[in-house]
Amino acid sequence: MARTDVTVIGYDDSEACRIAQEFDARFIPLARDADDDTLAAWRDTTGSGPRSGSVVVALFPKLQDHAPISSVASPDWDSRADTPLLHWMVALGASALLCADEGTIVAVTDCPPPLDAAGLAPEAAVAEAVSALTRSLALSEGKRGVRANTILTPCRLVTDPPIAPAPPLPGFPGTMEEDVLNAVKLILSPEAAHLSGHVLPADRGRSW
Amino acid sequence: MVKSGKRSVLITGASGGVGRGIALACGEAGWNVWIAARRAAEGEAVAKEVTDAGGTGHFVSCDVTDESSVADALATVVATDGKLDGAVHNATSDLSATKHAVLPDFTIGEIRHQMAVSMRGSYLLAHLAYPHLKESRGALLLLTSEAGFEGKAKLPVYASVKAAQRGFGRALAREWGPEGIRVNCLAPLATTPALDVAFVNDPSMKARVMGRNPLGRLGDPMQDIGRAARFLLSEDSAYVTGHTLMADGGSCPVT
Repeated sequence: MARTDVTVIGYDDSEACRIAQEFDARFIPLARDADDDTLAAWRDTTGSGPRSGSVVVALFPKLQDHAPISSVASPDWDSRADTPLLHWMVALGASALLCADEGTIVAVTDCPPPLDAAGLAPEAAVAEAVSALTRSLALSEGKRGVRANTILTPCRLVTDPPIAPAPPLPGFPGTMEEDVLNAVKLILSPEAAHLSGHVLPADRGRSW
Repeated sequence: MVKSGKRSVLITGASGGVGRGIALACGEAGWNVWIAARRAAEGEAVAKEVTDAGGTGHFVSCDVTDESSVADALATVVATDGKLDGAVHNATSDLSATKHAVLPDFTIGEIRHQMAVSMRGSYLLAHLAYPHLKESRGALLLLTSEAGFEGKAKLPVYASVKAAQRGFGRALAREWGPEGIRVNCLAPLATTPALDVAFVNDPSMKARVMGRNPLGRLGDPMQDIGRAARFLLSEDSAYVTGHTLMADGGSCPVT
């Protein structure tokens, strides 16, 4: 089977395109509004395509205002938590099929640092869920030499730390261009060849 | 309704397993315990056990995936007891223990079902219990799992939804702390019908689970898990929030 070096899976109107551009990667779009049958077919089709040495899954949902859970109505929960996590399960499932033996899978997800998570409970839930999914892939795919890691970024969710203390490094919450791309490069590099199951918060030291 | 002097707690999925253990431990302390479940006969039986243990047990019908059902269950508690001191989301999808497979092998329907019970169920209970817990300065407790920390090769969906509950609970602890509501998670490892099924479905699982358990035994749903849950629901843990307590005999190496 043919093999492509880097593949990026994401929404085609999102920051995932920038990640694909940086790595000159094949880009596989996932439709934000796909119904269940379409998602299942997409996973089968994607998983049966050319294998890739590195698969980056970067799903960035449409941003929504911070809101206490008491005011998050059921449809809002669907769009902030249920649908994003379903997409993650499908996309990471496809990544397991797509990734070549001894390859690497990287999940890049929004995540509020725990200190700053008030009003962002749906996003915090999804981020933790993605981390566990990726660890599950590290366990299941590790037998064929595939490693799987997660990069967390608050850069789309948080503008300023709302509460003290300030993060140890300046520039919180960082940027997609600097913090996220460099973290992906780090995890994809040969120097990280023996790291798997890790969760790396790219958040200027706000959490660990 | 005159407010009851006893603590009033609602426990989802309490018609068996760990939920029953939590209910009995709360009954042991003399609390009003609401068994919120779909199975009426089993729920009524546990309610009687709670009463026999020294508390006051009630059954209330509840489908945790249905917003109106959760709302009705909470309304029944508050109409009867005048308050809600604690809400426990223990219910887990029947599928969580029956299908052992790698992630791409799960159907969309199987994924959705586990998400609906664990994750959406947590949201619905939190969303709807909030005004009552605010009034009582009460506690929310979410039953998670060691799988949510470390992932599982053959239970990836279960691991994911259990992790989601931890992230959700930790965020809510931040959000609700200023109003005096505490939110914690509990990760049990206990002898339950669900674990028995999992052992049957994956014959190597028992050796893996017990091989890393320093205490060398599975937890008892009431004595080991229920009492830990009761602690997190009680005033004894008044300064504990945003925490995940591992009641797993020391099994999980990642906390």
